[in-house]
Amino acid sequence: MTTEFAEAAERHLDDVHAFLVYLTGDRSVAEELTAETFARACERWRRFDPRRGTARTWLCQLARSTALDHFRAEDRRRRREGRYAVSLSESQEAVFGEGLSPALEAALSRLSAAEREVLALRVVLDLDGESAGRILGISATACSTRLSRALQKLEREVSAGVAA
Amino acid sequence: MSPLELVDDRFEKLAAELRAARRLAPDALRQQIRALEARPRRSFELNVPWRRVVPAIALAGLAAALGVAGVLGLVHGAHSDKRATVAPSAQKGTQPTFPQRQIAPASDNAFKSALAPGPAKDRLQQYDALLRIRVRDQEALSKRTQDAYRLTRKLGGYVAWANYSTPANRGDSEVQVQIPIQHVQAAIAAFSAYGTLIGERIRLKDVQQRVDNLAVRIRRLRERIARLHDPRDRARVAQLLRARASTVKHAQMASVALAMVVGKKTAAAPPGRFDRTIDDAGSVLVRELEILVYALIVVGPLLVLGGAGLLASRTFRRRADQRLLERTG
Repeated sequence: MTTEFAEAAERHLDDVHAFLVYLTGDRSVAEELTAETFARACERWRRFDPRRGTARTWLCQLARSTALDHFRAEDRRRRREGRYAVSLSESQEAVFGEGLSPALEAALSRLSAAEREVLALRVVLDLDGESAGRILGISATACSTRLSRALQKLEREVSAGVAA
Repeated sequence: MSPLELVDDRFEKLAAELRAARRLAPDALRQQIRALEARPRRSFELNVPWRRVVPAIALAGLAAALGVAGVLGLVHGAHSDKRATVAPSAQKGTQPTFPQRQIAPASDNAFKSALAPGPAKDRLQQYDALLRIRVRDQEALSKRTQDAYRLTRKLGGYVAWANYSTPANRGDSEVQVQIPIQHVQAAIAAFSAYGTLIGERIRLKDVQQRVDNLAVRIRRLRERIARLHDPRDRARVAQLLRARASTVKHAQMASVALAMVVGKKTAAAPPGRFDRTIDDAGSVLVRELEILVYALIVVGPLLVLGGAGLLASRTFRRRADQRLLERTG
């Protein structure tokens, strides 16, 4: 069983990491959350039921749950400290991918985490609507609608960035 | 087919760029993940598929309910022609013993009457019996009524009340007699042989305890009178003595009500074992259903409230998560 987990982790590590990079918009946070996600997966591996979905879907659900915990904690911390500004990485280095055009990189950073997560699942990881919907807790139709809006916004942001 | 083709072809270039630039996990992170070791599954693990188990439990419960009803029906059905059911008051334990017996019509009435519970010889008991007899015709009705009077007198009893009527071809005779309790079984056996026994009910009420209690109270009051000479105590003693005498007198005479009707129809056959089994099993099932409905009435609203609360909290949490993701850049 340890072998099964090791194989699943090896196979889906890049997917989970890429998903968390899009979700958080921060590479170092994404790495921390990826490690946290696999630590949780390691503990809960006995509960994974292949009949209810693939290991990739299960790991992405776990990654989303881990990221939400992180966002909630950050939200509480910001409220406590009286800072409401979004703490995105201010560095100019590429976050979302190697070799992305600066306009696309900037456009992605201007999207919300909700918009980026659907892009990550449906575009980057190439998941079908049903699997992506299961991870997001919505129907496949709602997932397609959300994807369409996110792509339209991304395209607008890219066009605006190029024009500027 | 790419999932994006379902959305819009014009986004294909954008999507291709995002996929091509996809970031891989750094080596340090990969090594960290490789170092993790999942806990092996336990040799015995309760991995319950609830969607299958719940219907199976429901079916098993239904089968158990039917099984219990069937077994109780078989057991009770096999013994119901010998059983004596206890009156509800006796079941609750609020009254003295009060056996009540219903006997189905039968051809061998003397044998049936021999099964009737007799009074206990060493205790005072009130004995009440009701016999319903079908006789052949009006002539037999008249003759048997006279026989009942004679037998009652012969046994040392008396007729307390009687009603005799014979309109057209029909007729009925009701006789209420008081018979010394030591002869009551002989009287019942004789009455039962007057025709076809179509119903019998016997009630026995033990009054020995009451008489004993009265005796104790009388003795204590007399002791008190010897000490205090209170005239009110004398009056109470007299009252208790009358009550004791009345109780003893009632216990010495059995009350037998004999109801005879004219009719040529033979008595209906007593229910067979199969019928009794079905009846008993049906009663058990009805009782089980009552318990189930009661449980649903009590627990149902709580389950509905709990389910609604759970659903509402999940929906609320999901929306809160979505809002959090939307405002997170």
